[in-house]
Amino acid sequence: MKYCKTCHVHYDNTLEHCILCNGELDQVGEELSTYKFPEIKKRSKSRFFYRLFLFLNLVSALVTLYIDFADGLPLTWSLVVGITNIYVVVMFLVLAVPTIWTHRLTKSVIITVGSLILIGLAIRDVDWALDFVFPFAVMSNIFIITLLILVNKKKWFDYFSSLIFITIIGLVPGLLNVLNLTVVQWPSLVCFAFSTFTLFGILILPSKSSREEFKRRFHI
Amino acid sequence: MKKKRYWYKLDNAAKIFPAVSKDDRSNVFRLSFYLDETVDKDILEEAVNKVLKRFETFAVQLKNGLFWNYFASNERHYIVEPEPSELCRYFKSTQNQGYLFKVYYFENKVTLETFHSLSDGSGALHFIKSIVYHYYKLRGFKIDHEGKILGELPSSKKESEDNFISNYNKASRRNLKEESAYHLEGERFSHHWVLFLKARVDSKQLINLVKTKYQCTITQYFTALNAWSIYKETVDFVGNKKPLKIFVPVNLRPYFDSVTLRNFSLYIKATYDSERTDWTFENMLELTKEQYKDQLDKDKLQSRISSLVGYEKNPFIRALPLILKQIAFKVGYKILGESISSCSISNLGKVDLPSGFKGKIKDIDFVNAGYGLAMTLISLDDHINVILSSPLKDLSIMNHMISFMVKDGLDLILDTNYKEGYDEIL
Repeated sequence: MKYCKTCHVHYDNTLEHCILCNGELDQVGEELSTYKFPEIKKRSKSRFFYRLFLFLNLVSALVTLYIDFADGLPLTWSLVVGITNIYVVVMFLVLAVPTIWTHRLTKSVIITVGSLILIGLAIRDVDWALDFVFPFAVMSNIFIITLLILVNKKKWFDYFSSLIFITIIGLVPGLLNVLNLTVVQWPSLVCFAFSTFTLFGILILPSKSSREEFKRRFHI
Repeated sequence: MKKKRYWYKLDNAAKIFPAVSKDDRSNVFRLSFYLDETVDKDILEEAVNKVLKRFETFAVQLKNGLFWNYFASNERHYIVEPEPSELCRYFKSTQNQGYLFKVYYFENKVTLETFHSLSDGSGALHFIKSIVYHYYKLRGFKIDHEGKILGELPSSKKESEDNFISNYNKASRRNLKEESAYHLEGERFSHHWVLFLKARVDSKQLINLVKTKYQCTITQYFTALNAWSIYKETVDFVGNKKPLKIFVPVNLRPYFDSVTLRNFSLYIKATYDSERTDWTFENMLELTKEQYKDQLDKDKLQSRISSLVGYEKNPFIRALPLILKQIAFKVGYKILGESISSCSISNLGKVDLPSGFKGKIKDIDFVNAGYGLAMTLISLDDHINVILSSPLKDLSIMNHMISFMVKDGLDLILDTNYKEGYDEIL
């Protein structure tokens, strides 16, 4: 035990000086105190590289935009670079947030498809993205999660929200067909049908536990 | 018997925390038990996993619904960790096997840090008492639980009841308009480090002081002391348009005959006018006593419960998708939550342990790391720990409080997580 004769308090700690008055502490008796917490270690500024990464992406997007603009060119390749920069940053953020991997996969698929559609719009040729990339990416995602649920039944409720979400997204290509925004229609039609069947499967073939899961997810 | 799969809606107090918690506002509180031996990590982990089966409300993970978050059962194996150097550190449940509490070990200390959505101090105290009891049981000690260890008693449905909802009365709702409060500002420690300063005081000495000299309760004494120290030590409080508001959580269980392990506490507040310049400790204490008497009334508490639950029952709020609710919570908390409180005092009272624990549990800490300054009180055997915690580097208010207690004749033994040389790191 130690004692501060200025503040008149005892210390059960390894401090040499009083935290309140900075006066030297006197040892009182034989009993030695211990420090009861883990010591803090000097840490590097870990966010520096993250900020540098954001900065470089921003610089890259602005420089290409400026070059295109200064040369009087249509903003094509600079938009592609800009979209890619944003895509890289968003993907980094999605992958850095710890969550179950089906959520990451679903988010990654949606962001990738969205970016490819934007690139398609930037190069004035979006059909390949809307006709093929969008429906096939969504169908693959639905297929993987469905397979995962069937294989790992114990954890199906962890994957449930991802499945519901991507299945609803899977209905969008059907809407694009109706609005005549697609050229090759069969992939979108297949995707729409696949999503509809999956959605009906979730709604019509529920076990008691899946009904319970609906109740949880949609309680108001 | 424990149900295999279950889920709960978040209680009224819990709803806001998932949306508003972050590195510098963790909404995590800590309970530490100092044992008479070095903690065996493997036995502790086994004890936690055994006890978790009994504590349904702790064996949960936070899930997102379309309209609200909810708790779903969590059957994953819990892994205990070495204690970090930061107190009440913000953690993501996804990096903690989905659980919303942390169990740490360090030398002879077992620490439970609980995210406030899960439970309040009373619920968490039951949980850590059961963990420590089970730890000793696994170590081969035979200690009679004397009915004081919840983990050894049969579980009851009442333990998982949302008592905010069960005590809701639409007719008793009232307007809960709050004005902004004065805030303590200043340079903060880096890395979200929080300073911990514990003053250990003899219970009889403290009770004797507050009863004979001041005719008040311990919590009233420390509330007034907090206010007095802020008044004396800050340069921007007097003349500030905003009053000083000290929030004091009240355990509602005794008022409403509750045994829930979920959140069931409500803040009362002591408010002090910043435009007044003739404050003395004595008149601050008198005002504190009046405000406590006025607010610690069952009907008034129920009226506030009903008002708070009334918000979540609003059809418009209920129909908002979770993502919009989270944005609304963030904005609302900034306007109504954080800004209406200056600091807080939380008294968990005397920890009632079986007599077989005598000498085995050396001490108990209770820390609630808030912004500004937080004070917590907890008592074991014949002493009370008055714990001050703050992310601010300025120690003048703490210094004033300690000096005041010493002048009042209290013998204090201090302990802190501060170490010489930390100035260079923090």
